[in-house]
Amino acid sequence: MNIKQYIDSLFSSYEETDSLADFKEELESNLNARINSLRKKGLNEQAAFDKAITELGDVSTLADELSLKKRQEVFSDMYMKTRHYMSTWRIVLYVLCGAVFGFGVIVSVLSGFFSGDVNAPLGSLLIFGGIPILGFLFLGLTQETAVHEAMSWKRALLYVVAGGVFLFGVIAFLITYFEDNAGLPIAIATLIPFILPSLAFGVFLVLTEKDRSKPWVIRQRKEYMERSQKRFGDPVQQERFGLFSGALWIAAIAAFILLTILFGIKFSWLAIVVALIGQMIVLAMFTKSR
Amino acid sequence: MEPKLSSDLLRGHTDTIVLRCLLKQDRYGFEIYNWILERTGEQYELKETTLYSSYKRLEKGGYITSYWGDKTQGARRKYYHITEKGRELYRQNKLDLEFTQRIINDLLKEEEY
Repeated sequence: MNIKQYIDSLFSSYEETDSLADFKEELESNLNARINSLRKKGLNEQAAFDKAITELGDVSTLADELSLKKRQEVFSDMYMKTRHYMSTWRIVLYVLCGAVFGFGVIVSVLSGFFSGDVNAPLGSLLIFGGIPILGFLFLGLTQETAVHEAMSWKRALLYVVAGGVFLFGVIAFLITYFEDNAGLPIAIATLIPFILPSLAFGVFLVLTEKDRSKPWVIRQRKEYMERSQKRFGDPVQQERFGLFSGALWIAAIAAFILLTILFGIKFSWLAIVVALIGQMIVLAMFTKSR
Repeated sequence: MEPKLSSDLLRGHTDTIVLRCLLKQDRYGFEIYNWILERTGEQYELKETTLYSSYKRLEKGGYITSYWGDKTQGARRKYYHITEKGRELYRQNKLDLEFTQRIINDLLKEEEY
């Protein structure tokens, strides 16, 4: 193991900061000088390395100072502090949604047992399962967290509408398929009025979403970008790679649905395979031209 | 009975030792480490991290400053330079230590018994 690798391994669990990088360089040149002087005294390479390492001592306290936080702690900071943003009425609503959801599951299972058909449990699931899920969606989106600002309630409501229509579409599909025994093609046809538009609307909402990250997250992301830019070169290329891949998969999913309607599931899976191959080609193209 | 060097006792004065080492000229980490080793006859089991903590502490307090030297043999060296505030701290610490040493000597004297 060379000195640089050794030093990197010492600090591998720490967030790289400017002052830490600075310290690592200082450490490296000093260790090198020490090893050279020990070798001049007649120690072999390994013995000199081992002695220098022993003389170094424990670096963890220093690293704690220089790096501010271990990576782990950064993560816990980002994700564990949600409770600071939790008001009482929100907690009540979360619990209420959970309770209604549990109630819905029990009712639908029971009604399934007693009535013996699929319609009754699906119906109760649509109401008692769907509503709390949409409730969770609304609460989740309007929830301020350590990393995100809250979404405005109007926009969250649009998501809820899209989600509601989508859920209704799923249930309609299941009912058409199981209850009416109408066969897969007709069941899939029910995707068109509900699932497809709600999906499209949902995608539209997601794509027009503005960044709600908190300032410190944006700052950290920028730092990360700058560092990865140094390592990987052109960020524009990476962005274009992402756009290409996105377009490829949207086309693939559209083709999948269309082929399922026209020719059945027997052939439509090929669309996914083609997309996978396309994805690999795109990746190969971008890594080559980088 | 052989006298031994008490590393713990010495470690408490790391800052003062570092300041003393920088009085005459700017030095980089390895030089400082070597300087101490030579003067203690290599008996002091000094950990380098103790020194690095000391540099950081002194730099934060404005007693020393640091700068990167030119590349020699492929690696840059980080040099430390003592400030006027650092010289003052050195003098004060030295006075305190001499005073304390006298008192300790008095306390440990055996003649009174």
